Amino acid sequence: MNHRIVLAGNLEFLSLGDILQLLGSNGSTGILRIRSKYMEEPGLIYIVDGDPANASSGSLTGLEALHSLFGWIEGEFEFSKDSVREEPVIKKSRMEIILDGLRMLDDGEVEKMGPVSVAKSPDSTGKDDGLPFIKGPLVDYSYVVDEESFSDGDKITQEGKHGEWVWVVLEGVIEVVKETPKGPLAILRLGAGAFIGSVASSLTGGKARSASVLALGDVQVGVLDSQRLFTEYSSVSEESREIILGLDKRLKEVTERAIATYTKQNSIEDLIKDRTPFIKQGENDERILIITQGEASIVRNTDYGDILLANLKEGDFVGRVPFLNIGHEPHSASVLASEDFEAKELDRDHLLEQHERLSATVRNIIEHLAICVSVTTNITCDFRKSFANEKSDQS
Amino acid sequence: MAILNLKNREIECKIVYYGPGRSGKTTNLEHIFKAFQKHVKGEMVSIDTEGDRTLFFDFLPFGVGKIKGCDVRVQLYTVPGQVQYSSTRKLVLKGVDGLVFVADSLEVRRKKNMISLKDLQQNLKDYGTNIFEVPLVLQFNKRDLAEQGIPLMSTEDMERDLNRQLKAPIFSASAVSGDGVGQTLTECLKLTLQSLQRQFNWAE
Repeated sequence: MNHRIVLAGNLEFLSLGDILQLLGSNGSTGILRIRSKYMEEPGLIYIVDGDPANASSGSLTGLEALHSLFGWIEGEFEFSKDSVREEPVIKKSRMEIILDGLRMLDDGEVEKMGPVSVAKSPDSTGKDDGLPFIKGPLVDYSYVVDEESFSDGDKITQEGKHGEWVWVVLEGVIEVVKETPKGPLAILRLGAGAFIGSVASSLTGGKARSASVLALGDVQVGVLDSQRLFTEYSSVSEESREIILGLDKRLKEVTERAIATYTKQNSIEDLIKDRTPFIKQGENDERILIITQGEASIVRNTDYGDILLANLKEGDFVGRVPFLNIGHEPHSASVLASEDFEAKELDRDHLLEQHERLSATVRNIIEHLAICVSVTTNITCDFRKSFANEKSDQS
Repeated sequence: MAILNLKNREIECKIVYYGPGRSGKTTNLEHIFKAFQKHVKGEMVSIDTEGDRTLFFDFLPFGVGKIKGCDVRVQLYTVPGQVQYSSTRKLVLKGVDGLVFVADSLEVRRKKNMISLKDLQQNLKDYGTNIFEVPLVLQFNKRDLAEQGIPLMSTEDMERDLNRQLKAPIFSASAVSGDGVGQTLTECLKLTLQSLQRQFNWAE
């Protein structure tokens, strides 16, 4: 077959609706391929004289497949001019397909293939107490080596116990719980597509779990192929690995700080007395560095005071991760450095290029980490805010 | 932004009917679809969106001549006003060439008209169009309801509410009976094509 790509680009710039209109008014014949990092297989649309004749997306075909592709709002497309011998399965007019597809997207009938989403806790759990709820993108089953089922209240992991599995939630909702001096504290809930377990533990082999994970109702989880994750992780440069591990450590730190704030032991005055700002909150600083000596603190300035988010040391990264937003420095937090602090700058382009090489699953794990860091940070700030309010109520 | 299709020697442009829910946008288009059948190309697409329907069809206007030797084909749309339909709205409003704002003459809908017009301005702005520059016609619809004793706003009051800054041409209409529907469209077509003429001349 002769694949002549005559049009290609990014879906964020030209949406599927726009592309179909364009190909329609040109009366083009050929195959439109759409790729999303959240899907293993590309979506295909066969177009004859400007009108969609058939489509496929995963296991779907025909109109149903075409409609589902409107949910692929991020990704790449390419159109190759080709003779199409597909039987025209789709009979609806082009504009009807486009307008209906977009309506289904807006009405939520078509699933949006986007990054990890943070939403309200689902009502099905019976308690909507405002805990953050994180969902992930579609699960790539080729990474799942085993499935396990849990019933309501089952502990999937126990804080402090050793374990090296990384799980992905296939169905149901789980709750992440930390032990605190004031008793167990539920931090957040995870839904389908979210990951349990740290990259670090699977890679460095059996670390203590930093939190317990409980099943809320019936839960189905998949065990990820740690050998494959490890191989992939080993294939990127040392600097990239440092960033990934750094994210993992950052999440642990942020969680510890959240608990300390909850038990009102997150005092920051003594800690940052001798520290000088290295990156100031709100600055447009694009650098990403690895600490080679000394210590640093990540501090967010809010209306109710400075909040310590994480303590970092040698080997941790500071600055802006080029492919992620963790809701910390430079936009939403400062980096305060100790006197002996030294750091070496990393090459952003190199990190980006290495990140692109990873599979969608590993990138999803990393993105999930970043979302958890960002969400946990907000929890810390909320704790602080409620204390500030308590204090002002008392006075 | 009209599309110049050199293969068919056709200029494809977009006219959108905007306005608050139930002001009569779809009634306008339904009337055009029936009354000007000869100029309609293809079927009317009707999508059920909450509170309102989204309509679309192709229209070949008469007696407008050619632009640079090309025929003109107009895509007529209504757009759902509800906030949730942002994807549809974006597709429809992006690169719009002409607009008809259908205002509801009922006294109780006064606020709705003003909010909808503000929304239109904001939506256009989001997609890079200035409401003061795009060809725009206002239609005060449902004038016939006065006969049934339903309180309507005077056209003067409506003009003060909606057209003080826009200074757009205004048509009174009763879309149910078709009164004023043709005039509104004709004026919008005229303004749109004039604007396209200018654009294509500039492009030379």
